[in-house]
Amino acid sequence: MSQPDVDVVVVGGGPAGSCAAIVAARAGLSVVLLERGPFPGSKNMYGGVVYPRILDELIPNWWEEAPIQRWVTRRSTMMLTDTQALTVDFRSEAWGKPPYNGATAFRPDWDHWLAGYAEAAGAQLLTDTTVVGLIRDAKGAVVGVRTDRPDGDLTARVVIACDGVNSFLAKEAGLYEHADAKHFTLGVKETLSLPKEVIDERFAVRDRHGVDIEILGGTGKVNGGGFLYTGLDTLAVGVVLKLPKLAAQQQRPEQLVAGLKAHPAIAPLVQGAELKEYSAHLIPEAGLTMMPKMTTSGMLVAGDAAALCLAAGIWLEGVNFAMASGMYAGEAAVEAVHAGDVSENGLRGYQRRLSDTFVLKDHRKLRRAPELVLSDRVQHLYPGMIANVAERMFHVDNPHPKPGVRRILAQERKKAGVRRRDLLRDGWTGFRSFG
Amino acid sequence: MSIVACLKWVSHPGEPHDERFSGMSPADQSALEFALRQAEQLGRDVTAITVGPSGADKVLRDALACGATHAIRIDAPTTAAGADVATAIASHIAGAEWVWCGDYSLDRGAGSVPAFIAAHLLAEQALGVIAAELHDGSVHATRRLDGGRRELLEVHAPAVVSVEGATARLRRAGLHSLRTANNASIDVVPATTPMHRAEFMVRPYRPRARELAAPPGDSPLDRLRVLTDAATSSAARGEKVTLAPADAAERIMRALRDWGYLTP
Ligand SMILES: Cc1cc2nc3c(=O)[nH]c(=O)nc-3n(C[C@H](O)[C@H](O)[C@H](O)COP(=O)(O)OP(=O)(O)OC[C@H]3O[C@@H](n4cnc5c(N)ncnc54)[C@H](O)[C@@H]3O)c2cc1C
Repeated sequence: MSQPDVDVVVVGGGPAGSCAAIVAARAGLSVVLLERGPFPGSKNMYGGVVYPRILDELIPNWWEEAPIQRWVTRRSTMMLTDTQALTVDFRSEAWGKPPYNGATAFRPDWDHWLAGYAEAAGAQLLTDTTVVGLIRDAKGAVVGVRTDRPDGDLTARVVIACDGVNSFLAKEAGLYEHADAKHFTLGVKETLSLPKEVIDERFAVRDRHGVDIEILGGTGKVNGGGFLYTGLDTLAVGVVLKLPKLAAQQQRPEQLVAGLKAHPAIAPLVQGAELKEYSAHLIPEAGLTMMPKMTTSGMLVAGDAAALCLAAGIWLEGVNFAMASGMYAGEAAVEAVHAGDVSENGLRGYQRRLSDTFVLKDHRKLRRAPELVLSDRVQHLYPGMIANVAERMFHVDNPHPKPGVRRILAQERKKAGVRRRDLLRDGWTGFRSFG
Repeated sequence: MSIVACLKWVSHPGEPHDERFSGMSPADQSALEFALRQAEQLGRDVTAITVGPSGADKVLRDALACGATHAIRIDAPTTAAGADVATAIASHIAGAEWVWCGDYSLDRGAGSVPAFIAAHLLAEQALGVIAAELHDGSVHATRRLDGGRRELLEVHAPAVVSVEGATARLRRAGLHSLRTANNASIDVVPATTPMHRAEFMVRPYRPRARELAAPPGDSPLDRLRVLTDAATSSAARGEKVTLAPADAAERIMRALRDWGYLTP
């Protein structure tokens, strides 16, 4: 092959793409970062919480300048039925100090900030440029990308596809064997504005401290979950919905968000807020079950494009997995270019890095979690059963004496129509995943 | 330097303090497109010029990516007054044959810069143009007049043409020219002419109050009628005259003085 235009082309200026570009450019490779939006992050949405500790190495003391809204110091997990709510609420002052834990941030700010580091490292960022296909050599190896601009072919030694969920590039490269609608959820979100003082008061936080509420139930007959996060003077409230169920129920996602907002446990928190933005996006939900092959000759896939988002009920983490996999893809590309071997074998360092780190370790550990969390029992039977148990435990029904928990449990299990065998099996799966 | 596109770096009206949303206005994009088409037709180069701080390099790089050959940034704050901006630009483009501008900038929008440039260059002008046809030695421009009428102008070099946003669609930059433009050097020159801060007029223009004799009429209603012109046919208010341009201008000035809009 004649001399390529650049060493590395990174497709997509999301968290995965920018981190890949930072690493490759810092190692001295010539890098072009292509983004279809007018600036990185302009087209991107998510719920709202990032866990940026993976940046410790890449951007020391990142917290001093990262564009964050609030540091998450309070984390609640809420289980909803139509009329009940059971919440486990945790708060830690330690999460409000360096090096912090999670933070709420807007993606147009976060992604733009991160891409600034890629540019500072020497990567060339080209915006308003959509990649429409791959260029391959006679043997089928990927040797560049085709963009929608005139004179738009760009050749490279390595292409890193960070083009997000439902990656057309990974599909075109034949890396996805089983792409199926049932592996995706649809996330929809409303950004609501409220004065900071009102948010501080309603959520019992001060200064830059904020709250992350993950919600099980609250999505009616459509399997899924919800979330509510605090920005500085905004709230992010939304639902994540299993696609086939959504289609079968013939319900509009915005109806389900409205339903969640009207729930007696949520309504007082969002009351009087003004709707600023409505957005929706797919999530690769199925984890290991749907993951593509990560490498082919001349190409690596990272972030959501490789289905690396961790969506396991009480955890919805995609940005940190994207940043980490982007970094590792960048490192593997550097290694391969320096060794002069960008074949699938030359790029195998990527898969090794994914396997040796939290990226695939967490996915392996939690591989059964997405299916369990979105199963009909967990979605439609357990929340009611557990909430009823709690209600009866805390209900003072004098002159009757307090009933024993075991008896309540057995009665509520029967009432909910849950078989003991299923309960034990789900409990064991849950224990093995989360335990 | 024969063809010049004057481009202003403006922020999005909805996000005035966020550079991510800044860029070239649609009118400036049209101006650049006309400049590029004319350059192709006449076999000339296009110089893109802007007055602004370093952030304004963005619009020059966009222009270079689309085919402009040179880029000049006169280093000055975006708050500079239109007349000063025009003086600075004119001092750098002496000898330009064709100068293309957007009709007015999105942020302040008086549309005066092109007129001032034309005055400095002693050039012909066609301002606020809604359509332009490029001919070998001239441009045929259409302007909007009151009452849906149009004015057709033929301007010859040296000329300044300012165009509205929808007059031409800026071509899409090629990938490799975009890459080259990102690294191209931009001539940054200091503003050597004075740069004053633009004074904003935030209220509508009102002529100064003048003392007038009470209108004739016996009853308050009669006087009110005279004052407000109510119930007089509008035809009676107009005056149709055929005069030479200089006499027509003098007639208009006299009428404005009589009506109290200008001090005698
Ligand atoms: C509703 C919802 C809530 C979520 N909540 C959270 C959360 O709270 N915390 C969390 O960590 N994660 C969350 N996630 C997951 C997270 O958003 C993703 O995992 C993460 O954004 C993946 O990053 P990425 O860089 O791989 O892809 P993306 O962020 O999707 O970036 C892909 C980039 O590629 C660009 N692109 C795409 N195609 C092309 C092309 N052909 N040419 C050029 N550019 C292209 C896009 O414009 C985009 O900039 C949520 C997701 C959703 C949908």
